[in-house]
Amino acid sequence: MNNTTVFDNNSIWIFEQIYEPLFTVTNNGKGVRPYLATGYTMSSDKKTYTITLRHGIKFSNGKPMTSADVKFSIDQNRKATKGWAYLDSAISSVDAPSPDTVVIHLKFPWAPLLADLSIFANGIVPNNYDGQTENAFYQHPIGTGPFKWDYWHKGSALKLVRNPYYWQKGKPYLNSVTWTDVPNDNTRQLQLKGGQAQIDQTPAWSTVSQLQSTPGVHMFLFNSTQTNYMSFNEKVKPFQDVHVRRAISLAINRDALVKAVLFGHGKAANSLFPPQVPYYDPNTPGYQFNLAQAKAQMAQSSVPHGFTTTLLLPAGNSDYLTIGTILQSELKPLGITLKIQQLDPNTANTDQQNLKYDMTLTLWTMDIPDPDELATFAVDPKSGAQSFFTTYDNPTVVKDTHAAEQVTDPAKRQQLYNAVQTGAAQDAFMAFLYYSPYPYATTTNVHGFYVTPLGNMHMEDVWLSK
Amino acid sequence: MSFVARRLLQLVPVAVGVTIIVFFMIHLIPGDPARTILGIHATPKAIAELHREWGLNRPLISQYWLFLDRLLHGNLGQSLIYGVSASSLILQRLPATLWLIVYATVLAIVISVPLAMLAASRRNGLRDQIVRAVPLFGLGMPPFWVGFLLIYAFAIHWRIFPVSGYGVGIGGHLVSMFLPSLTVAIALAPVVIRSLRASMLSVLGADYITTARSKGVPGRRLFIKHVLRNAVIPAITVLGINIGFLIGGTVIIENVFAIPGVGQLMIQSIFQRDFPVVQGVTLVFAVLVVLINLLTDVAYATLDPRVRFDR
Repeated sequence: MNNTTVFDNNSIWIFEQIYEPLFTVTNNGKGVRPYLATGYTMSSDKKTYTITLRHGIKFSNGKPMTSADVKFSIDQNRKATKGWAYLDSAISSVDAPSPDTVVIHLKFPWAPLLADLSIFANGIVPNNYDGQTENAFYQHPIGTGPFKWDYWHKGSALKLVRNPYYWQKGKPYLNSVTWTDVPNDNTRQLQLKGGQAQIDQTPAWSTVSQLQSTPGVHMFLFNSTQTNYMSFNEKVKPFQDVHVRRAISLAINRDALVKAVLFGHGKAANSLFPPQVPYYDPNTPGYQFNLAQAKAQMAQSSVPHGFTTTLLLPAGNSDYLTIGTILQSELKPLGITLKIQQLDPNTANTDQQNLKYDMTLTLWTMDIPDPDELATFAVDPKSGAQSFFTTYDNPTVVKDTHAAEQVTDPAKRQQLYNAVQTGAAQDAFMAFLYYSPYPYATTTNVHGFYVTPLGNMHMEDVWLSK
Repeated sequence: MSFVARRLLQLVPVAVGVTIIVFFMIHLIPGDPARTILGIHATPKAIAELHREWGLNRPLISQYWLFLDRLLHGNLGQSLIYGVSASSLILQRLPATLWLIVYATVLAIVISVPLAMLAASRRNGLRDQIVRAVPLFGLGMPPFWVGFLLIYAFAIHWRIFPVSGYGVGIGGHLVSMFLPSLTVAIALAPVVIRSLRASMLSVLGADYITTARSKGVPGRRLFIKHVLRNAVIPAITVLGINIGFLIGGTVIIENVFAIPGVGQLMIQSIFQRDFPVVQGVTLVFAVLVVLINLLTDVAYATLDPRVRFDR
């Protein structure tokens, strides 16, 4: 439950009910709104942000939240050596000049600051962990959120109960929320139908249409920032050849993938960025299915007669296996023989990160309402992720990405990110496959349930009718 | 030394052998628990730091000695994923798995004994044919499929039982664990029925049964006191062996019914490369299998006074 180091989505969405940040994502996922803060001012050199805190906020133990808690929380995230500290790397220091004011000093102008502050890793915890050690605190964490800790049966169920000191009066409406770990898609659906659960998180795509017509069930497809890609390892021949990458991208029928994998509930991807991300460019010329052009690119490549290659997949992922099977037939006209190698998920993940693969499937969901996190991760070979583990390196694209970080004028940022998206699309360093929504099924007595494009859910707004 | 004490001592070399095999096997599988925790944001520095923290940067043999040393002090190590002792995780999950095993065994016996008696009482008759044929469906159908059928019927359609879970309190466990236990019992029963029927038919042909009949012992008393008591011994051996397999098979049932048991913990831990927990669960499974074999032998000796294992 350490919000500064955890990466799995389920843990994040749970502890977002416990800790809250100064700013939170808007419902359309494209901006931020004040949350524990009420507003901010920015200095003329854009390097100092003075943030005003909301009055009357208390932690779930009844103690008031002050700027000392905010300073401590942000400083803890900045120090986390194996976590999200990189998002706060532009911050040089945090001051707490008065109990309801926090001042953030930056090393340079930093456009994504408010978006970075909205991330769960910058959620506010008590100063000095309320006198506990870090490890002890995170066994029973305390925050300002609508719910507080009850129990966690590790790997099986976690329960939060209502925070009586919650700052939004009258909320939360629910007395408790329990997350249970039910790995089997069918069992989750049956729990919903049997009334044992009220929300099924990510039902199988094959069941979405059926759930849409099931009495007593409400099937939601929330806009998301999830994008699926196919990565090319440019350390492996012939993927350093842009014509090969373009040819493969052009040979992929994305509508067929959407139909086969998502059962029609998705859209072909045209850009590195998904549509719900600020500065997404709908005109990005991401390669779409065109077999003639694919063959023309192949003819210009270093392997005009084709080659044999391997697609690395995590075992047990039926969606990925479907994509792989479709790709095998779609790449045949180019003379490409595609072998599928399935490894257990942990091994596949490790091999991808160690660049021991030819091609692989991957995906991304946004953690902040700003493209900086994705852009840096995906196109900067020095980012630590080696350009999304592809080793792609286009100095112009990298330069534009970093320039956009320090420009606060939205029009200028749009221009720069348009160039990043176009450059990345033209280089085809990954094949952009499809955008998919977040599927959630609830019983019809659940009201107020909403999931933002970043996956956040405000459970304080949810209520049950009889 | 008594038979039971000797058998319990045999646990030691079994446990040591299991620890060696599991320890080195799980480390041979590629995959890094640090990457599981850190996800795609893993940097080499962060990974190295976690390895240092967990002792995974040490030579394998030295990691094994450390594990064995802790084990001798009753310490199974700490879960790399959850940061708590592996033994606390296992102990938290063990009751659910034990409930499943015991409840399923009881239900298997409740199903098997009357049906076997019914079949044996009319050899080759219609009842016998039906009892021999119908349970084979239970043997042939995959357990997860049987489970889903039972859920649809009794949890969704008639709403008698919950869909899944372990329940709270003894009453809650009895209700929540009925369908998963029945699923397992349906798979266990055919083998027990056939074994029990065969041994009953063998006993029914014995001289002492003929003597009892001619002395006027009523049919029901004859069956229960004389036939069943003698016929059940081989069936107990069959049941004991199948319960041993069942321990490993809890994984599927716990997955279908979302039971927070040791089987589910095992699968999660393997995928997450949570080495200490995998090692701990495997040890627990090995001990359980040995104990069940021991219980089978003790039951054998209890039911048949002629059987003695002590020298």
